[in-house]
Amino acid sequence: MTKLQETYGVIGAGSFGTAVANLLAENGRVLLYARSKKAIENIKNNTHRNQDIHENIEVTNDIESFCKQCNLIFPVIPSDSFRYMLDDFKPYLKASHILIHATKGLHVEHNLGEDVVLKKESVYTMSELILKNTGVVRVGCMAGPNLASELALKQPAATVIASQFNEVIDEGQKALKSTRLRVYGSNELRGVELAGVLKNYVAISAGIIAGIGYGENSKAMLITRGMAESIYIAKALGYNEKAFLGIAGVGDLIATCNSPKSRNNTVGRYLAEGKTLAEIKENMSEVAEGVKTVQIIHSLKNYGFKSPIADILYRIIFNDLSVENALEFLMRFPTSEDADYIS
Amino acid sequence: MAESQQPIKNRLAYTIADPYEWPITKLSADKELFLKEVIEKTEASIFERMHNAQLLHDELKGILYKEKNRLTKQHWKSDKPEESIFWSEIKKKILETDKIENEEEKYKKDKKLMHKILKHYAHEIVANFDPKTHKITRKILPWVFSRLMNASPGNRLRFLWASRKTIYEKLKITGPIEQIRELSKKGTVIVVPTHFSNLDSPTIGFVLDSIGLPAFTYGAGINLFTVKFISKWMNDLGAYKLDRRKKNIPYLELLKSYSAVAIQRGAHSLFFPGGTRSKSGALEDKLKLGLLGTAIEAQRENLQKYTEESAKKVFIVPVVLNYHFVMEAESLVNQHLSIMGKEQFIYSKNNLSTSFKVIKLFFKFLTATPGMTVSFAEPMDVLGNEVDNDGNSINSVGQKVSIKDYFLLNEELNEDKQRESVYTRRLADKIAVKFHSSNTVLSSHLLAFAAFEIVKNQNKMLDIYELLRVPEDEISISKNDLKEAIEKIKLKLLELESDKKIKLSKQINDNTDSIIKHGLKNLGVYHSKLPLIKKDKHTITTQNIKLLYFYHNRLEGYKLDKLFA
Repeated sequence: MTKLQETYGVIGAGSFGTAVANLLAENGRVLLYARSKKAIENIKNNTHRNQDIHENIEVTNDIESFCKQCNLIFPVIPSDSFRYMLDDFKPYLKASHILIHATKGLHVEHNLGEDVVLKKESVYTMSELILKNTGVVRVGCMAGPNLASELALKQPAATVIASQFNEVIDEGQKALKSTRLRVYGSNELRGVELAGVLKNYVAISAGIIAGIGYGENSKAMLITRGMAESIYIAKALGYNEKAFLGIAGVGDLIATCNSPKSRNNTVGRYLAEGKTLAEIKENMSEVAEGVKTVQIIHSLKNYGFKSPIADILYRIIFNDLSVENALEFLMRFPTSEDADYIS
Repeated sequence: MAESQQPIKNRLAYTIADPYEWPITKLSADKELFLKEVIEKTEASIFERMHNAQLLHDELKGILYKEKNRLTKQHWKSDKPEESIFWSEIKKKILETDKIENEEEKYKKDKKLMHKILKHYAHEIVANFDPKTHKITRKILPWVFSRLMNASPGNRLRFLWASRKTIYEKLKITGPIEQIRELSKKGTVIVVPTHFSNLDSPTIGFVLDSIGLPAFTYGAGINLFTVKFISKWMNDLGAYKLDRRKKNIPYLELLKSYSAVAIQRGAHSLFFPGGTRSKSGALEDKLKLGLLGTAIEAQRENLQKYTEESAKKVFIVPVVLNYHFVMEAESLVNQHLSIMGKEQFIYSKNNLSTSFKVIKLFFKFLTATPGMTVSFAEPMDVLGNEVDNDGNSINSVGQKVSIKDYFLLNEELNEDKQRESVYTRRLADKIAVKFHSSNTVLSSHLLAFAAFEIVKNQNKMLDIYELLRVPEDEISISKNDLKEAIEKIKLKLLELESDKKIKLSKQINDNTDSIIKHGLKNLGVYHSKLPLIKKDKHTITTQNIKLLYFYHNRLEGYKLDKLFA
């Protein structure tokens, strides 16, 4: 073992967290923070979530010592637990820490529901949540077509690190890059985060299309129009289209919409089978981010964007609209000029 | 962080009694070494950028061309006659180096030439501080201030026996003043005021002196240094000269280094982060970042040079100046509208270009003003964190933090210009927020806002430019509508006040009739055409809608217009 200078931190030992830890381990020592005893046990035994554990990875559940040892930390946990994780870590996080999260989800301070109307100020991306709840200022995100199972098989892939700070991008690139991962940089932090989030519900829709048994034409239509819709939403909320045309946007969209392995895609397949949300929840250990994403889009009522795919998906999930009726509605929806999001 | 809500009643004693002990005095006494440091810092930065003979030589030629142009086409009275001789010499030298073929030798010669130019600029810019001049000024000014402010027109006789203390009845100074005084002893204070009028500089200078802070250094347009004795007087009071015609990189870098080194040496400084005066009358939300960045740079360099305990801390204190009446309102709003484009507003050029005119204006203003408020906001560190009375930084989640952490990468303190540019933008945003939360609503602002919104609603089909061309005699606002509008806005203002997002002056708590009466009495009263005037018992009109727009803008940025949508 060569002498390692850096200690990188990863918070969360889910399948993606474990994959990120394995990538980092090629460039330094890695501390992997896990909460469950079973995960800690697994990691110590060198296999966890169907992945081998790199020898440079150490597992811990001691937050204070974790924060003392790592300057660069990658939180990789579901958006629903993100806020609680920050509360636990807050006393030990300082302005000298750099946080690059890999969570493609949003946080909302209110309960979501049919008649809830949200202002964009009360919807937080994970980087905004970090800034609001800790003393860390140098934040970034990692996004792109990075299916954990394929990363574990050491297949080539690309990812993007976005931050307002060039040093965050540089540090992230140094930590992650390898011969099997190309790491791009971007200063459009919010755009990249939003692209990663909005692709979730398009992936559910793609799962539905696949579940019904439709082929590539239908899927391609969904992916391109889904991307257009995401851009309309982002523009209405004050962001530009740049990130959506990059790795975190169209790149991630193609991967997730085509992969039956993705959690969002699986939800779509179940919906096509006519399962209700409650039934789906019983079958899955964590609910896909995309369900929350459509709820949030549904609640952002006052921003004047048109989002037929998200609207219909909402009605399928929450108002028991049948998949057949939904598709008919979508096909009848008036068309607009193609690619009108590029000026 | 106790805030004294009560305006100060008397001038406060200096935090450092002996002016010879003030940082600015010491800086002035050590001028040559100070300038040397400034020039060295500038050179380090520009030679990094112009790292070969070609780049540097091109820059020198560019500077020469622009300077020659300035002297012939943009000549100002303040330009010294020996300047053309200086630049002719530089020209001769540039022509000489032109011929040198050896790159190394050429670079060396050009570096020397650049040094010469920087030295020339540095001596032009540099401020002085003379405690004696300050002492005399300090004796005379309050006398002038208080007498002028008491002598409203038609009441000239009072001029002679007005009592001194009344000055702080008209000039209301509020905010966490004790804390600011404490911090001035512990670190370097940078005051960043809003900028509406040419009178802001003398006013804020007087205010800072009133709360007992040692003298501040500040940048003043070189165009104000025309009359010799005034020029010397301003210079002796800590003013350094800024020439907005000079836009070459070395000059701008030199100014930044000047500011950064002065801050490092503990000289309390005054920046107008809005740059030029707010032309629309709205509070600044897009702040000029250049000088603000020097505060962050100075703080980082202090931390690099000294241990954290002994490194001087830099504190940022936003200040909002509120007037019922901005003397230059008319020309400012016209400039604003012509910059916004769309319409060819013809306006007489704002001709306050010499110090003499400004002083004349100042006297006129002081006799005329119905009073003003100066509100200090809570001080921050350069990262925009709140600070406690001992100068400790408290971050947004309430933790006591070390500012060194913000400049560390992998446990090492390093310089990262891009990082600091992000920090500068964050700081500017925080200052803009403080400008809004420390803004004090005067009766006249509320009145102007309500009246303009009513006019806007009466003419829903018109855009802002068309609206501002509606003939004034067609405008009529019923008193009842006005009352209703004011009450509606007031409710929202009270809500904002309890959220600490704005401050309200005493008059706003009066009943609506009194607000209207007080507002009408004070709103831009000394304009020849009034922004609002009674038409008859039940209606009000304007004599100049653009002025009404200007004063209305003071309450922009709080989404109050949504009340009328």
